[in-house]
Amino acid sequence: MEIKTGEYNIWIEGAIIHYEGTLRLSGTDAYQEILSLMQTVLEQQPPMITLDLTQLEFLNSSGINLLAKFTIELRKHPQMAVKVLGSTRIPWQSKSLPNLQKLHKGVELVIN
Amino acid sequence: MSMSFGETAQTNGTDCFAISVVFKEGKLGRSWKQAGTTSEFLGEIVATQSAKSGLDYSEARHAIIYLVNELLENAIKFCSPGDVEVRCSLANSTFELAVINMISPERIPGLQMLIEDLTTRDPGDLLLERIEANAADETSSASGLGILTLMNDYGARMGWHFSDALTSGASVLRTQASLSLT
Repeated sequence: MEIKTGEYNIWIEGAIIHYEGTLRLSGTDAYQEILSLMQTVLEQQPPMITLDLTQLEFLNSSGINLLAKFTIELRKHPQMAVKVLGSTRIPWQSKSLPNLQKLHKGVELVIN
Repeated sequence: MSMSFGETAQTNGTDCFAISVVFKEGKLGRSWKQAGTTSEFLGEIVATQSAKSGLDYSEARHAIIYLVNELLENAIKFCSPGDVEVRCSLANSTFELAVINMISPERIPGLQMLIEDLTTRDPGDLLLERIEANAADETSSASGLGILTLMNDYGARMGWHFSDALTSGASVLRTQASLSLT
C-alpha cells in the first residue's frame, strides 16, 4: 500500500509507515487519504507501530495536525508500542515532534 | 478605523535587507501551490543572506519557509479579492514578516476572538487543547493551529493589524511575525 506523487511518497512495510518528500496539503480533508492509509496499519493491531519520518523534509501545520490526530487514536490502544523516527538534519522534526509525546506518553521518539 | 493586537512593532529599519512579493488581483488568481513556491523562494534568498553573518543556513531556511508558508496559506484560504503582499526583512539575526491581504468584515469578530486566545493563553497549553478538541470533533476547523505551532515550536512573536480599505467594503489585515534566527 502506498501513495506516490511527485512531491511526496508514503508507503507501508509491515507495521512501519514511511514518509518521504514535502507535504503541504490544504487541510484536514486533503490529508484524509493519508490518514486512511495509516489507519489500515492500526486496524491490523500490530504489537508495535512505527512512523518513519526521517525522509520527510517538510510538513505544514495541517500535516502536523494529522500526526497529532493519529497519535490520539493510538492512545486508545495502550497495548500497542509506538515509535516515531525523526532526523536532526530536518529542523521541523526536533521542534514539533515532541508535541506527540505530550499527547501520548507511550510514544518513543527517536531523533538521530 | 484601525486596531492592533499582539506585537505589531517591527524593529528592522528601512535600510535593512528586505524583499517583497505581491500577488496582484486579476488573472493570476490564488492557488494553494503559490504558498509553497513563494515560501521556498523567500526562504532560499533570506537564508543565503543570513548565512553571510554566520547564522545556520539550514535552520534559517527551514524556519523562514515554515513561517511564510503558514501565513500565506492562511491568506490564500481566508482572503477577500485584492492584492496579497508578503514583506520580509532581515536585520542582525531578526527575521520579520508581514502578510497583507483583504478580509471580509464578517470574518473579523471570529478572528479577533481567536487572537484574544492566542495572545493571552500559554501557546503550548492552547496548542494541545486545540489538537485534542479537533481530534474529538470531526467538524472542527482546527483554526489557529498553524499560528500556535509558530508561537510554541518556533518562538515566533505574532501581531495583527486591522484597518479599513480605501476603496471597497473590505478590511485590510496585516499579519506580522518576528523570529530570532539565532
